[in-house]
Amino acid sequence: MIPGLVQILLWQGLGELISHFFLPIIPGPVIGLVFLLIFLIIKGHVNPSLTLVSDAFSQHLGVLFIPAAVGVILFLPQLKANAFAVIAALLVSVVATIVVTAVVLRFISKKDSS
Amino acid sequence: MNPNDLQIAEIWVYLSGSPLFALILTLTAYQVGSFFYQKTERNPLANPVAIAVILVAIALYLLDMPYQKYFEGAQFVHFLLGTATVSLAIPIYRGVAALKARVFPLLIALLCGGVVSIVSAVGVATFLGADSAIIGAFYPKSVTAPIAMGVAERLGVSPTLTAVFAVITGIIGAILGSHILNLLGMKQWWQRGFAIGVAAHGIGTSRAFAVHPEAGTYASLAMGLHGILGALLIPLLKNYI
Repeated sequence: MIPGLVQILLWQGLGELISHFFLPIIPGPVIGLVFLLIFLIIKGHVNPSLTLVSDAFSQHLGVLFIPAAVGVILFLPQLKANAFAVIAALLVSVVATIVVTAVVLRFISKKDSS
Repeated sequence: MNPNDLQIAEIWVYLSGSPLFALILTLTAYQVGSFFYQKTERNPLANPVAIAVILVAIALYLLDMPYQKYFEGAQFVHFLLGTATVSLAIPIYRGVAALKARVFPLLIALLCGGVVSIVSAVGVATFLGADSAIIGAFYPKSVTAPIAMGVAERLGVSPTLTAVFAVITGIIGAILGSHILNLLGMKQWWQRGFAIGVAAHGIGTSRAFAVHPEAGTYASLAMGLHGILGALLIPLLKNYI
């Protein structure tokens, strides 16, 4: 598990450096993700240690955003005042995104196969 | 105050000042949330993160502990968000074979879905006169939470509101997804999974895996790709529209 974690931290560090000096608009970890992805595609396989770390993170990803999300207690009055707009925007956005993605996908792949 | 009370107060002052307390609180709350999630056979409404957030909030209120103090201790957990983001490369890599087979339709659908997820949320919230802090958090909310929060920080948007909206988006998508896709008459598992992954990131993806493995694979791929696309697209749309 440790070699995998070290590798991920190094990619993260490289991503942070590039973000800091050249691409401040993109978060460092996202740049690290893209580098690691390219590295894996070139290498053609994932070593078990990396898989172990990645699976641990993806199974319990949720726990990592609890500290920030608890901050919602500071926004409660604001959210209450905007409750209708928030609920409407979230509902419309989810439904619209599913519908558009699904319909576009079906339309293009039909055209593709015919 | 008798000597016993004083001692308890001293212990409390010591414990509440160390990161240990915030860590125990966070992980215990998540454990309880996961327990309910398993007990309800993974009902999206019993989302473990949502339950944990409510439990921690109640605990802070009862203990009269300021949020800033809790966060100081819990920032060790928070720090790992970046590391978790990098590790998303592995599930995307696993989906690369699936992507190669249908690269054109998947990328076009992703781009359309990604743009619609932002424009529709921001459009409705603006139309209904929401505060600008809230509208700002609607830009990144459809992307997987660790990336969404990183993007939010760069844009000067509240990572807290972003995380909360992202979780609610995932829950709504996991609940409504199958019904919407049935109404549309979508039959292919890969198309259904991909649409859920674009719209409802991690929470939708775990729902998709529960329904069908092929749907899960494509949902996971969609979630990862939407994360990368979002990091490029959200700042563009936010700054130039």
